[in-house]
Amino acid sequence: MKVICDRSALLNAVNVVSGVVASRSPRPQLTCVKLTAEKSGKVGSLTLSATDAEISIRLRISQVDVTQPGEVLIPADKLRQIVSAEDAAPTLTLESDGDACHIKGDDAHFKVLGYPPADFPAIPGLEATTGKASFTQDAATLGGLIARTVFATARENTRYAINGVLLKRDGKRMEMVATDGRRLALTRTHVAADKDAQPLSCIVPTKALNMLTRLLGNPDEQVRISLTDNQIVFALGETAVLASNLVEGTFPPYEDVIPKDHDIKVTFDRDVLSSAVRRAALLTNEESRGVRMSFKKADKQVELSSRAPEMGEAEIRVDLAGFDGGDIEIGFNPTFITDALKVIPENQVIMELKSSSKPGLIKSGTDFVYVVMPVSLT
Amino acid sequence: MATPGHRGPHLHAIGPYTRRVAEPHTNTSFTKASNAPRIRPLPALLVNQIAAGEVVDRPASVVKELLENALDAGASRITVDLEQGGIELVRVSDDGQGISPDELPLAIAPHATSKVTEAGDLDRIATLGFRGEAIASIASVSRLSIRSRRPIDTGASQIDVEGDVATPVRPASGPIGTSVTVRNLFFNTPARRKFLRTPTTEQGRCMDWLRDLAMAHPAIGFTVTNDGRRSLELPPNQSPRERVLAIIGKELEDQLIEISVDQYDDARGLALWGLVGLPSLARPTSRSQHVFLRGRVIRDRTVQHAIAEAYRGLIEPGRYPTAVLMIEMSPEAVDVNVHPAKLEVRFRDQSMVHSAVLGSIRRALQSRDLTPRLSGATGFGSFNTPTAILPGPTSGSIEPKDFVSFFKRNIPAQFGAGGRLSFDALRRAIERPAPAPLTDAAFPANDLDAPPSPLAPDASTPNALASHPHDNAASPLAPDQLIAAPVPTNRALQVHNSFIVTQDEHGVVIVDQHALHERVMFEYLLQRVASGPLESQPLLMPVLVEATPEQLDLLTPLEPLLTRVGIRAEPLGPRSLGIHAFPTFLFERGVDPVPFMEEILAAAEKDGLAPAEEQALHEVLDMMACKAAVKAGDKMSGDELQALLDLREDVERSSNCPHGRPTTVRITIRDLERLFGRS
Repeated sequence: MKVICDRSALLNAVNVVSGVVASRSPRPQLTCVKLTAEKSGKVGSLTLSATDAEISIRLRISQVDVTQPGEVLIPADKLRQIVSAEDAAPTLTLESDGDACHIKGDDAHFKVLGYPPADFPAIPGLEATTGKASFTQDAATLGGLIARTVFATARENTRYAINGVLLKRDGKRMEMVATDGRRLALTRTHVAADKDAQPLSCIVPTKALNMLTRLLGNPDEQVRISLTDNQIVFALGETAVLASNLVEGTFPPYEDVIPKDHDIKVTFDRDVLSSAVRRAALLTNEESRGVRMSFKKADKQVELSSRAPEMGEAEIRVDLAGFDGGDIEIGFNPTFITDALKVIPENQVIMELKSSSKPGLIKSGTDFVYVVMPVSLT
Repeated sequence: MATPGHRGPHLHAIGPYTRRVAEPHTNTSFTKASNAPRIRPLPALLVNQIAAGEVVDRPASVVKELLENALDAGASRITVDLEQGGIELVRVSDDGQGISPDELPLAIAPHATSKVTEAGDLDRIATLGFRGEAIASIASVSRLSIRSRRPIDTGASQIDVEGDVATPVRPASGPIGTSVTVRNLFFNTPARRKFLRTPTTEQGRCMDWLRDLAMAHPAIGFTVTNDGRRSLELPPNQSPRERVLAIIGKELEDQLIEISVDQYDDARGLALWGLVGLPSLARPTSRSQHVFLRGRVIRDRTVQHAIAEAYRGLIEPGRYPTAVLMIEMSPEAVDVNVHPAKLEVRFRDQSMVHSAVLGSIRRALQSRDLTPRLSGATGFGSFNTPTAILPGPTSGSIEPKDFVSFFKRNIPAQFGAGGRLSFDALRRAIERPAPAPLTDAAFPANDLDAPPSPLAPDASTPNALASHPHDNAASPLAPDQLIAAPVPTNRALQVHNSFIVTQDEHGVVIVDQHALHERVMFEYLLQRVASGPLESQPLLMPVLVEATPEQLDLLTPLEPLLTRVGIRAEPLGPRSLGIHAFPTFLFERGVDPVPFMEEILAAAEKDGLAPAEEQALHEVLDMMACKAAVKAGDKMSGDELQALLDLREDVERSSNCPHGRPTTVRITIRDLERLFGRS
């Protein structure tokens, strides 16, 4: 293999695939990137492949000049460090030498020892997206769905099912749901009517969705999504394929959690409330996390207050755009509120509450519902 | 045995240090053959031998009884001679007031005493002995002789007893005072003699009593010989501190903290003095605890419990702190007439004693840097090693005085008694940022790649020990100097992502990052819980935890405890429970509710977590602290290391994790010098 690469294109690609490389693994091959140089006619390409055994990625760059097709398997961290450090060189030449790879810049020559490329596990390629349950979705919509849910997933929870995002799709709409047991984010979008589409439902690991978000550069790009028994594959045109194992288990029955009624409904400006919550959170600490929200109908205001033992107190007043119902006092983990407000594109946000011990609801538009459990203020 | 009915009628003594010859029982011959056993009074010898079973079971008890008599006689110097561990001979000689020749026969009669004259005296016993049993009991099982001379007498008198046969009092020569010689113990009760151990063992037990009573009476001089060799020599008029150190070993001085309480108010209250050991001096048995009440050696559960409580969380379970406590209180405030051996006492106001002991030790421990030294960790000689007893040439292990005083300074309390933690400092420490991502560009400055910290003080530091180890004795360091200019502690090195190495004014300090952080969190939570339940985060949907029916039954009794820490859990089906709320704090630290709840249930099942008890709360808070603390293997940034080390100063009992394991070990400059062969 011998290929001349544009350094910045290579660096971008290496940075992305490094995200799935196993950092520590008994199989050293999993800490490597496989580089595959191909040439069809005059057009050459270099494909970078990496996997951590759960998620795998292939990324193709075309800003290359392939002199000799071939492949090489070298440690990802060394490749990344070298490409990153060679910042004076506009191009780098990569050439295989047995299991090693020579990387040459203007004034530098690296020889990086690697492994036989055949030792690298087989990972799904574009061909995997031609499976049965498959559909396409534009990058902008898909990215929006992910952004509005992925933040609410649990981390390293023993209830594996909530360590990912539930993805549901039928002939009319696509839905994503995430929860960590304390708050729940649900978002949905209408899809082009498709009578043949089979209803599908799966749980996608958080990490895979975060990786996918990094690949979604062009909002108009169509992403082809296919599902096999235990894997989901996302393909972006001809350039990138991301495959991930699905999270096994049953997603909790989230419909029951979404409040059906409310006693008070307020409308507020997203940025104003977000700022107020962030300021009130300044005087909370790890175990006195709650921010008290006192909704006062008479003033058409909400008063946010916090108090941490031995630290101090904060009080912030926010005017509400709309107030429907009576006074109520409720405590929330401020992070849970600001997390949601960050992903809401609309300026006007609605909050519906029932009582200080019942879950609160934050809504915007028709496609985002966020349920958050209050904390017991002490 | 000696029921009150036996001794009741004989509690009349007739004068100072005289014993009335009493004929307690009709001397019926018990050799008379009879097929039908008849109830009859026992012969005096047998009565005394039975009584001896309670009071005298080995040479050590002879030593104890005779010493108590000598002490009661107002001696200023006591000499004890032992042969064959006391089996062949115990001789206790004092320079006390002596016994008049005509009272000598009374001295050997049972229930004859000069110390108690009427029943009311039993409520205010001020002497060590009072039962009037000891000499008669010993005389019944040995060949005993008493030689005594009062200051007004021109010569000494002597009486010899063998079994129940006493010789007439005869003149003898001897100094002022009383000398009691006990030979051939149990010569006439072979069954008992058979139970004696080797002379070495018996000697050890005699020495235990000698050391105990010598500690309790620092004003009295003691000389002890074993088979003619002098084994203990204690000058009279020592201070309690001098005496205790002379006995348990002067080399332990820097590991002992002096406590002192004076709430003595005639009839009520108590005065307390003692030396208690650092947690590192804890021993696997309670033999290193010596408690004295008005000069009497006692074993009292109230006091033992108070000591253990003061050290809770500082020493590992199953180990006992070293403590020497001397309690003074009015004779009316305590009943010593509980058991013939007089080890047990009954305090009129137990809780007052308990809180005085607990409070004084706890305050002392809190005011002191409890970090064990390296040499402490490897263990000093135990109390009973010969070097600890014998001062003189063999005591090479005793530290030079300046070094001792170097450690003697009490680090002032960081906050007063009952003081508060700096919550802000704690908060900073427990809000540990996520482990820094490993980027090759930015290795933390405190990594192993960084140049090593100058752990040894250089000439500019006030600790000049390193540069002039041999000048120590000549120019001791002023402790004030050390406090005024401590070695900066702002350099810390994380080793294998598990231990933090830094320095202080004493030397090198090694911290177990998990153990210290766990202790910090624990103290924080403990203070926090005192002001109300922890903040609780209810859940959108209950988290299921599998549980046995037995565990489910525990939920109701555990409920008050769980509420305090912010957990709400209810049975959900026959074999599972649902967690409905979990502490915010644990969520913030990424602690999974399921394994945590399983752990609580397992602990409750195993130890029967009594929810009302503070101990159960401690246990649960400790679980929380343990889960939430940094783990061995977690990389910490330089700032995090420093924040954690700073907290070591602010947190009570920071020297040990809540399980009692040390958080910190110190290698002093002295230790380092020794390791490098420089001293």
